[in-house]
Amino acid sequence: MSTRRTPPRATEEVAVEEAVELTVVARQAGVRIALARRYLAFGLFDPCQGTSEAPLFAPTCSARLAKAERLRRDLSLNYAGAVLVCEMLDRIRELEDRLAGSR
Amino acid sequence: MSVGFKDYYEVLGVPRDASSDEIRRAYRKLARQYHPDISQESDAEDRFKEVGEAYEVLSDPEKRERYDRLGDQQRAGGEAPDMSDFEDLFGRGGFGSDVRVEFGEGGFSDFFERWFGDGAGVADAGPLRGRDREAVLELSLEESLAGGRRRLSLDDGESFEVEIPPEVREGQRIRIAGKGAAGRGGGPAGDLYLLVRLRPHPRFRREGDDLQVDLRVAPWEAALGATVPVPTLSGTAQVRVPAGSSSGRRLRLRGRGLPARGGGRGNLYATVQVAVPKELSDEQRELFEKLAAASDFDPRGSGR
Repeated sequence: MSTRRTPPRATEEVAVEEAVELTVVARQAGVRIALARRYLAFGLFDPCQGTSEAPLFAPTCSARLAKAERLRRDLSLNYAGAVLVCEMLDRIRELEDRLAGSR
Repeated sequence: MSVGFKDYYEVLGVPRDASSDEIRRAYRKLARQYHPDISQESDAEDRFKEVGEAYEVLSDPEKRERYDRLGDQQRAGGEAPDMSDFEDLFGRGGFGSDVRVEFGEGGFSDFFERWFGDGAGVADAGPLRGRDREAVLELSLEESLAGGRRRLSLDDGESFEVEIPPEVREGQRIRIAGKGAAGRGGGPAGDLYLLVRLRPHPRFRREGDDLQVDLRVAPWEAALGATVPVPTLSGTAQVRVPAGSSSGRRLRLRGRGLPARGGGRGNLYATVQVAVPKELSDEQRELFEKLAAASDFDPRGSGR
């Protein structure tokens, strides 16, 4: 790959970025809004700001949504199974980080 | 053109006479094992694609039969026969598929694309964002403070430059949008996360956000006090060594350490190390002897 003239700028962890609407989460994940709503109903992610009428979500939700959908499609899981796998993977990562930090 | 034969039975770890149930079970197990969102093995993505490709062929009775005949020819002739011969014998294309695995562009091998490319449909396809990737970014302490351009080379051979912001910390994850795995079906690419790791420094030692450095001073500087230069991450600072400083005394340079969580910087601690000359001139020796005779200082006594 050739060198870009204007290199992409590394930005701080996305948690500091502004919360977005579910339509933006869906678009960034590359999926339909109906699918995003379905995963929301299964508890894959929760709103972080906004109101119950106009909830807002962390931008990291788009990566999580895409991950759940990849797992669902690739491993023939149902929605609840994909959400469960995501939660288990989060838990494993958290434990691994804690283990690494205690060494 | 000759394309190397791929042993799909070996990829799935099943015998050549395996039933469709055995093939499905083997595939599902390996797909779970090597799924790139699950496995942390560096070659997981390649293995996952390989397993999916093998299943795409062996799970379809018609494709499997074609593949088995191809294998027989390969074993007889040493390598896969020419494509035109194969087409004459078995025709081409038009196979259905119930395989759920789908990949981004370039997901299947040349071997697959050549012999089974047509009709290799995927179920449940649709645009989907690619996986996020993570890579370790090793920085010197100076680089972590100043930031700047860095060329990154990833495992897949991709190489590009990024602008690292100044004042990044150990363990910080910095995001580079759109540099993760490619999306599927026209979906956006994932992001690349760089996990910052700070390399050990030949001079400075890290202690959280603080830095430690040895400050070598002459005996007379330690005894009489002096203003001496001390190295910092961004150059040199002048520090006042108080009179009567023994080795081990720590002098604090506020805000000259590493970037701290929540803003600001840690401190730099310069630890006094009294150094003596290895060799003395006659005059110097005489002066030290006079000092020794005049002094009642007992460094091992209670009044030190």
